[in-house]
Amino acid sequence: MRALRMSYIVASVAGVLFFVLSVALLGVWPARVLQEQTSNMAPENPLGLTRSEQRGRAIYAREGCAYCHTQQIRFTEADMKRFGAPTLAWETRLDYPHLWGTRRIGPDLSRQYQTHPADWHFAHLYSPRSVVTDSVMPNYRTLFNGAPDQPTQEARDLVNYLDSLGRARELAGPEGEARARKGCNCPDDEMQQMVFHSPVINANAGKARRAGPTPTLSNSTDIARGREIYQHNCASCHGPQGHGDGAAGSLRPVSADLSEHQYSLSRLSFVLENGVAGTAMPAWRDFSLADRAAVAAAVRELSTRPAEPAIPAATLELGARVYRANCAQCHGMNGGGDGSAVPELRIVPANLQGVRPTLAQSIRVLRNGIEGTQMAVWTGRLSEAELSAVAYYVRGFYQEGQR
Amino acid sequence: MYAHGLAAVLMLFVAMTFGLLAGTQLLLPDLGAGVPWMTWGRLRYDHTQGILFGWLTNAFLAFLYHAVPVLTGRPVTSVRLGQWLFGLWNFAVVIPGWMLVLAGFSQPLEWAEFPLITDAFVILALLLAAVQFLPAFFTKGLEDLYVSSWYVLGGLVFTLFAYPMGNLVPEFLPGAQGAAFSGLWIHDAVGLFVTPLALAIIYFVIPAASRRPIYSHFLSMLGFWLLFFLYPLNGTHHYVYSVIPMSAQIGAITASALLGLDVILVVTNLLLSLRGSGYFARDIPLRFVATGTVFYLLVSIQGSLQAQMAINRAVHFSDWVIGHSHLAMLGFATFAAAGGIGHAWQRIPWARYNRRAMTWSYWLLVTGVLLMVPHLTLAGLSEARLWQSGAPWIESVRAAQIHWLVRVLSAIPLFAGFIAFLIGLTTGPPGAGLAEIESSIGLEPVEQVSPKMMEAAEAS
Repeated sequence: MRALRMSYIVASVAGVLFFVLSVALLGVWPARVLQEQTSNMAPENPLGLTRSEQRGRAIYAREGCAYCHTQQIRFTEADMKRFGAPTLAWETRLDYPHLWGTRRIGPDLSRQYQTHPADWHFAHLYSPRSVVTDSVMPNYRTLFNGAPDQPTQEARDLVNYLDSLGRARELAGPEGEARARKGCNCPDDEMQQMVFHSPVINANAGKARRAGPTPTLSNSTDIARGREIYQHNCASCHGPQGHGDGAAGSLRPVSADLSEHQYSLSRLSFVLENGVAGTAMPAWRDFSLADRAAVAAAVRELSTRPAEPAIPAATLELGARVYRANCAQCHGMNGGGDGSAVPELRIVPANLQGVRPTLAQSIRVLRNGIEGTQMAVWTGRLSEAELSAVAYYVRGFYQEGQR
Repeated sequence: MYAHGLAAVLMLFVAMTFGLLAGTQLLLPDLGAGVPWMTWGRLRYDHTQGILFGWLTNAFLAFLYHAVPVLTGRPVTSVRLGQWLFGLWNFAVVIPGWMLVLAGFSQPLEWAEFPLITDAFVILALLLAAVQFLPAFFTKGLEDLYVSSWYVLGGLVFTLFAYPMGNLVPEFLPGAQGAAFSGLWIHDAVGLFVTPLALAIIYFVIPAASRRPIYSHFLSMLGFWLLFFLYPLNGTHHYVYSVIPMSAQIGAITASALLGLDVILVVTNLLLSLRGSGYFARDIPLRFVATGTVFYLLVSIQGSLQAQMAINRAVHFSDWVIGHSHLAMLGFATFAAAGGIGHAWQRIPWARYNRRAMTWSYWLLVTGVLLMVPHLTLAGLSEARLWQSGAPWIESVRAAQIHWLVRVLSAIPLFAGFIAFLIGLTTGPPGAGLAEIESSIGLEPVEQVSPKMMEAAEAS
């Protein structure tokens, strides 16, 4: 009987041992494995965080961002397809404490690097619904001096931090991935192998790219669906009637005035697939082709196409001369947005074969330039006659059926 | 005891208000805009810390003041120490912790959001609690301990170990390495602190209120030891499909499955003890406790299932898990704690007790839980489906809105229920609880006993 009673003491000791075991098996040992992985799989000189980004990280932690946005892409197909390559241990090596999170109300943020430009981030932090209509994110107006284009140091730090997420991995490039694969030395580890089969590091459907495919969109007749999608996803920036006067007025370049332009179906298809790199216009790759065709129809419907004067041939000729001398380096000889200077430009110039501005809009742009892009102000450099002539001339590049 | 009990309920209202505000902000995201302390993140931090430390811990301490002397036959260590513990816990941990978080001082770790400075006071208070309650058990000797005593001992001792691990280690170990420890604490906070103390209450109240022994002491002890062996080994199931070594994940997933079996064992034993006693209807605190037991079974089976990879792959990160945690904290732990406080209250001779209010409280709270948890689960399922389908992210947010609305509406019965609970503890005639117990077991009211004795004495 005494032995039986002593069994409680044995059990107590065992209980403590089990706790120690749990810490050893699920804490200490994994931490050691992860530390080894960190040193073996990290790129040679992984990029760290600037002081500003470190301060941004503290703000991210303080405001509980991690409770709606994870920073951990799991080794699952759904995660990899939506966000990109799974998070490796070395990518989190600077996180004291970690910001993995266990709940996603908003999307994962591990691969934010170059996913959105700063003006989008500022507008989004200041007033999330000005860029994402149905967002439930709190606004962080306290980080601004009263307007989305008046960020405080804290807002700039936070945005710098957000744009640093995933940067070290992307900049390490294929060499970095090769080094990770070599350092992992795990040909039989099915899960780890998934990392190396991820086609892109950043798979965010909204990430804009300069070049990409142009899927074939049919002429949709589902205009009601298109209008609905437009109101829920486009109107916050482009305005309910497409006048470019949505709530996100701080974006630079300003959101396109869709009523003042005529867009070819293939141009819309390209933009919906690839976004407009360097601007706040994201890609909409996660929308089905049917939905994209519907919204393209809704956008084309917004175009006003006012009646315009007939222009004498001499003016057209002047316009052509002015265009070749001043515009073709960027916009290309045939207006395809493919001039010789394009690789140097942060934002790809307008493809005038796919978009035709109204005459008024064309003159407006030549007079004022487009803030936030390399499109310059041409008054002063061109005479009024030259300016109107070229404004008219560029409208001739447009091809409705352009592919 | 009385002070902790009232502090518990008052702090519950504060913590719930944080939760209600955070929940409402998901529907009205510009609510409180421009006020830094009203940001969603900070309210969310304070909600869970408030429930854990403000409500549950105070409730547990209140219950320990009632239970430890009964279990050991000895008083707690010192009344003065008790006053210090009360002051320290409420005025050095919970209230300053809340304020610091709202002012922007916190750590972004789940169940560990209070800043490091507060952690120091938590550890100090846990030490004081150990000094206050544990010596009574040891002076009695460990051989004849009732299962509740084991849970109290286990809960207090292991929390002392686990707390620093979850709150300090991730500050010093980077990223994924820290997350491994974080996962342990997320589970230990629930498994080694809340669960043991809630089970201590359940094991205590069921036999004490129904006046029948527990069905099987052997099953009780088996359940206890299995729980303490398996619970700590669950931690990594919070990070399934992560970069944490797969063998650790699979170990934790297996432990989670076994834990579900253990809970079936524990709950079977508890429910068999209640079988046919008829007290369920009569004794309101017992009813709270028994309902908490059923929620415990549900939440544990759900937990075991959602740790399995096939299910975890879909529902992880979704509102399903938020539903799970509310079923655990609001369903299981809160019902046990409320039952524990009510049970102890009935046994304070001078305490007021209002049976009608308690009955109202019970039904309102059950309604609240049954509104909130299924809707969060449904929200989680829609989110999971949309995430898997590759639909644009925002669609999952839109799909959840209707369920978030029900979640906010569930605050109405929940607040009303806890107001009724507070009324139940503060109104009604003094000693009404005791009178109720006496009448329920067929004893005559005290006031009638002595005149009768007088009459009898005179007659003889």
